[in-house]
Amino acid sequence: MTQIIVKKRKKHRRDLAFPIVNTVVLLLLMFLTLYPVLNTVAISFNDGIDAVRGGIGLWPREFSVEAYKSLLSDKLTYNAFGISVARTVITTVLNIFLTSMLAFALSRKEYVLRKPITLIVVLTMYVNAGLIPNFLLIQKTLNLSKTFWVYIVPTMFSCFNMIVIRTYIIGLPEALAESARIDGANDLRIFWQIIFPLCMPVLATVALFVAVGSWNQWFDTQLYNGSKKNLYSLQYLLKMKLATSMNTTNAANTSVDALAATSASKSTPVTVRCAITVVSALPILIVYPFLQRYFVTGMVLGGVKG
Amino acid sequence: MTGAAPRDISKMKVNRKSVWMRLIDQRYLMLMSIPMLLYVLLFNYYPLWGWRYAFQNLDLSTIKEGAAWIGLGNFEWLFQEELFWFGFRNTLAMSLINLVFGTASSIILAILLNEVANRAFKRTVQTVTYLPHFLSMVIVVGMAQNMFASDGPVNSLLISLGIVKQPVWWLGEGKYFWWLVGVINVWKEVGWNSIIYISTMTSIDPTLYEAASIDGAGRFQRILNVTLPGIKSTFVVLLIMNIGHLMEAGFEIQYLLGNKQVYDFSQTLDVFVMEFGIQNNKYGRAISAGMFKSVVGIILLFLANFVAKKLDEETLL
Amino acid sequence: MRKLLAILLTLAMVFSFAGVAFAEEEVITVTVFRGDPGDQPTDDNKMYKLIEEEFGIKFEIEFLAGDLDETLGTKLAGEDYPDLFDGGNSAEKLINAGALINLLDYINETDTPNLYNHIKDILPQIVNEKGELFIIPNYGINYNAQIQNACNGPAFFIQKQVLAWADYPQIKTLNEYFELIEDYIAANPTNENGAAYEGFAILCEDWRHFCLINPVQHLMGRPNDGEVLINVNSGNWETETFIDKPYAKAYYEKLNEAYNNGLINPDTFVMTYDQYIAKLSSGTVLGMFDQTWDFGTATAALETAGMYENTYIALPLVYDEEYGYGVIEEQYLNGAVPNKDRGFGISVKCEYPERMIQLFEGLLSDKWQKLLQWGIEGEDYYVEDGRMLMTPEQYANRQDAAWKMKNAALTIWESAPKKQGTQDDGNAWAHSDQGENYFNLMSDYDKAFLSAYGYKKPADFFNAPCELAPYGEAWQIDKSPIQDDYDKFLLLQDQWLPKVIMSADQAELDANWDAFVEEITPYAEIYTEFMQAEVLKLVELATK
Repeated sequence: MTQIIVKKRKKHRRDLAFPIVNTVVLLLLMFLTLYPVLNTVAISFNDGIDAVRGGIGLWPREFSVEAYKSLLSDKLTYNAFGISVARTVITTVLNIFLTSMLAFALSRKEYVLRKPITLIVVLTMYVNAGLIPNFLLIQKTLNLSKTFWVYIVPTMFSCFNMIVIRTYIIGLPEALAESARIDGANDLRIFWQIIFPLCMPVLATVALFVAVGSWNQWFDTQLYNGSKKNLYSLQYLLKMKLATSMNTTNAANTSVDALAATSASKSTPVTVRCAITVVSALPILIVYPFLQRYFVTGMVLGGVKG
Repeated sequence: MTGAAPRDISKMKVNRKSVWMRLIDQRYLMLMSIPMLLYVLLFNYYPLWGWRYAFQNLDLSTIKEGAAWIGLGNFEWLFQEELFWFGFRNTLAMSLINLVFGTASSIILAILLNEVANRAFKRTVQTVTYLPHFLSMVIVVGMAQNMFASDGPVNSLLISLGIVKQPVWWLGEGKYFWWLVGVINVWKEVGWNSIIYISTMTSIDPTLYEAASIDGAGRFQRILNVTLPGIKSTFVVLLIMNIGHLMEAGFEIQYLLGNKQVYDFSQTLDVFVMEFGIQNNKYGRAISAGMFKSVVGIILLFLANFVAKKLDEETLL
Repeated sequence: MRKLLAILLTLAMVFSFAGVAFAEEEVITVTVFRGDPGDQPTDDNKMYKLIEEEFGIKFEIEFLAGDLDETLGTKLAGEDYPDLFDGGNSAEKLINAGALINLLDYINETDTPNLYNHIKDILPQIVNEKGELFIIPNYGINYNAQIQNACNGPAFFIQKQVLAWADYPQIKTLNEYFELIEDYIAANPTNENGAAYEGFAILCEDWRHFCLINPVQHLMGRPNDGEVLINVNSGNWETETFIDKPYAKAYYEKLNEAYNNGLINPDTFVMTYDQYIAKLSSGTVLGMFDQTWDFGTATAALETAGMYENTYIALPLVYDEEYGYGVIEEQYLNGAVPNKDRGFGISVKCEYPERMIQLFEGLLSDKWQKLLQWGIEGEDYYVEDGRMLMTPEQYANRQDAAWKMKNAALTIWESAPKKQGTQDDGNAWAHSDQGENYFNLMSDYDKAFLSAYGYKKPADFFNAPCELAPYGEAWQIDKSPIQDDYDKFLLLQDQWLPKVIMSADQAELDANWDAFVEEITPYAEIYTEFMQAEVLKLVELATK
C-alpha cells in the first residue's frame, strides 16, 4: 500500500510537466488562431500609407479610423450589408420553418408517405448534378438571375438539417403530441404549438449553420448577380476588393494623392481591405459564442446520424 | 386461431380502405411534406436531367439551335485532356491531405483539451479555436495571402529563425499549393472537428480512467489505453464517411487561392468544371466532367456506407 | 376561353403599340456593358445629359468587375445581354455566340452617311467571311493625316527620373536598358519615403500577358503581330511562332539575370491588373514592357499627383549586336490599323437597334465628335484663330479621373466609333493629338526632359511608323477555330516562362527552357500552320 502511495506521489510530480506543456501548446494554438485575425484588425485601424510599409503585428502603429470612414462613406458598403442581412435573415427563417416542417411530417411513424418521401429526400445527399446543370436550372429554367430571390429560393431546404431535426423530434416524448391529438388538435397545430417550441435547442444550432452559410456565400452573387451592383452581398464585395488590392507590401505607396487618383474601383488600400474583412466577419463573431452550447449538441446529433 | 381469422380479414379490409382514409386524415402531414417534396424534385432531381448534355456537343454556338447527340465524345475528350487528370489528381491529393491532417490534428486537440482540468481555460480554447470555422473562405484566403506573401509574417519568421535565407514564394510555386491548402484547412477546422471527439471522450466511463490509475497507468498510458480506444468507433465512422467524400476537395479555396503559376496543382475537378463550363461555355464537356465526379463520388459514398454498416454490425456495437 | 384569349391579345397589342409610341418620344434607358473596368459616371454628368437631350437616351453602364471570360461566359449562358455590348478583348465570343446583330443590315449611304463613309474604305478588312460586320472598330480609323505624338502601343518603358539620373543617355538596346536600371537601383535602392524600388515588372494576368510573351518580336525589329513573327520582305509572308525559338530564349535569359540580380519581384507573376496599376501609380516600378494605353490610369494618377519624374517614357529596344542577330533596326510603330472587332456591338436582345444605329450615326457627326473628344467650347476648350486650344487647367482636367466622371462620356467615347487623325480645318480630332496643347501644356518636367534630348515629342525616340502590312496586324486574327490548342499554347507560356525567368542558374534555365520548348512545340506547330494560312488569306484579300 505504501509503495503505491509513493509511486503515486512521484507520478504527481512528473505529471506537473504535462499540464504545463499542454497549457503552453494550447496557448500557442490560440495565438496561431488569433494572430491572422488580430493582425487584420490591427491593420484596419492603422494609417493607410504607413500600413503598406508592412510589419504591423497585433497593434496599429499609427492609429487611424480613416479606412472605416472611407468604407462607410461608400453607398455600396451599406447596400451590400443590407443585402447580406436580408438574405441571411430571410433564408434562415424560411429554411428553419420549412425544414423543420418536413422533419416533423417525416417523424410521424403513422404517416403513409413517410418512407417514399424520406427515401427521395435522403437520396439527394448522395446525388448532386453538379455546377452546370444547377446553373442552367437557376439561370435559364427559373430565370432567377439578376434578382434577390436567387439568394433565397435555392437555399430554402437542407436535407442534412432535416435529418438532424427529425432525429431530435423522434427523441422527444411521444406523450405530448398524443395528448394534444386526443384533445383534437390537428398535425399542423401539434407541430406549431407543441413540437416547434420544443425543438428550439436544435433549431438554434441549425439556424446558426444556415445563417453562417448564407452570410458567407459569395459565389451565387458572382454567378447570377455579378452585373447587379445593388444586389452585391458583403462577401462578394469583399472578394472584389481583395482582387483589386495590393497583395504585396513592398509596393509601398509614396503618395496618397496618387492612390486617391487611381479611383476607388481600381485599387483598394490594404487598410480598407482589412476594414471590410472585419466588418464582414463581425456579425458572426458576435453571435456564435452565445450559441456555442447549442451547436455542440447539434454537431453530435449530425455527426452520429450524418 | 380459427376464430381469429375472420377478424383479421375484416381488419385488412378496413386497412385497405383506410390507406386513402388515412391519407385524408393525414392531409396536414401531406400539406407539410408534399410542397417540400416538389421542391426537392425541382432543385435536386430535375438538374440530373441536365446530365443528358454530357452526351451532346452543347456549347455557345449550339445552344440556340439545339445540340446534337455525340455519344461518348465528351468523355473521350475528357479522358484525353491532361488538365482533367491534373484536376482528378489534385482533388484526390488535397482530399487525402485534408483527411490525414484534419483528422490527426482534431484528435490531438481533443486529447489535449480533455486533459485540461481548468474548465474556464478549456472553454476559452474551444471558443477561440471554433472561430475560424465561421469565417468565410474569402476572408480566410485573404488572410492567408497576407500571411504567406513573399514579405509576409511567415517568411519574416522563417528568415529571422534562420530556417531560410531567401523568402519562400509560397503562393506562386505549385509544389507548395497542396500543403498550403492543407495548412489553411487545418487552421480553419481543427477546433470545429475536435467537437465530436471531445464529446465522445466525455462519454467515456470515468471508472475506466480510475481503474487505469489504480493499475499504475501514467497519463500517457491512460490516453493510450482508455481515451484512444474510447474514440475508436467515432474515428472509424468519421474516417469512412470522409473517404466517401474524397471527391469533395473543395472549390472555394482552390478557386480563390490559385493562380496561373500553380495552375497544375490548384485545379480541382470543381474548378475544372467552372472554367470549362462557365468561362469557356463548353457546357457538354463541363457537364461530362461534373458527371464523372458525381458518379465516382456516389460509388465511394455507397462503398463507405456499406463498409460502415458492416463494421457497425461486426465490431463497433 | 377563346374570348378571354382574344381580349388578352387585344390588350397586349394595345399596350405594345402604346409602348412603341412611347419609345419614340420618351427617353429610353439603354443597358451597356463594357469589357474593361471603369468608373461609373456621376448622375449629373454633363455630357450624358447632352446626349439624353439630343437623342433621348440614357445609359445604365456595367463595367467589368472580375474575370472577363467568366463574366462574358455567364452572360452568354443566360442570354443576359445588354443593349450595347462591348466584349473587350474577348468580343469574338459574342460574335460566335450570335449575340450581336449584323450592323451592315442597318448601314447605308442614305440613312447613315456618317457611318457609311466611316467604314467604306476599310470594309473588306473588318467584315467576316460571310460579309457581316458586328462591331465597328472603336479605334484606328483616321481622317486626313494620322497624328502620332507618342507611342501608344507596345514598348519598353522606363521612369523618366532614371534617364535623368544618368544624364539622359540614349538607350537603344536590351542590355543598355537593364544595365541602367541596375545601376540606378544600386545607387537609389529606395525612394525618398523609404519604399524600395522594383526594377522591372511583368504583368501576366489573363490576356494582358502580352507583357510577358510579346517583347521578342519587337526586339527582333518588328511591330506588333501578336505571337508570330512574319517575314514581310520575302514576299512569301513566312509566319512562325517566336516564343519557342533560340532568339526568344536570349530575352528570357536576360530577364533571368535581372531576376537573380533582384530587379524582378516574383510576386509580379501572380499580380492582378489592378494590383499592377496600383503599383505603377505608387511610383516604385522603374521599368516594364507594356502598351501605353494599358496603364493610362496609372500615368494619369501620377500626373495628377504631380509625380512627373515617376511617369514613363517609351523606348524602342532591340537586341544588342552581341546577341548575334546582326544590327537590328527597331520598328515599333506601324501605320494605323483599325481595331477590328473591338468596341460596341448591338445585342440581339436590344429592342431599339435602329435608335442605336442612329445614336452612333449622330455621335459620329463633327459636332458630336468635338463634344465627345474635346468637350464644350468655352468650357472645356477655346478656339483662337481657328485652332482648338486648352488652358492648362482645362488640360489638367482631362487627366483627372474625378473630373471625367462628372464631365466626360468616357464609356461612349471609348467604345463607340470615333474619328481620329485630323479634322478638315487642320485641328486634331483628339484633344491629346493637337500639337499646341501637347507641347504647350506639357508639364515643365516633361518639357525639360524632352529638350534635354533635343526632342519635341516622345515619339521622337522612335523611327517613323512603317507602312501597315497588307494583313494588318496579325494579333487581330480570330483564333476560335483552333481555340483549344491556342489556349494550351498560351497557358504553357504563362506557366513556363516565369519558371525560366526564376531559374537559379544557367543549368536550371536550360533544363526549363528545353522542357518548355518540348511541351509547346506541338501546339506551336498547329498555331503556326493556322496563322500562316490566315495571313496568306488576308494578304490575298488585300491585294485583290
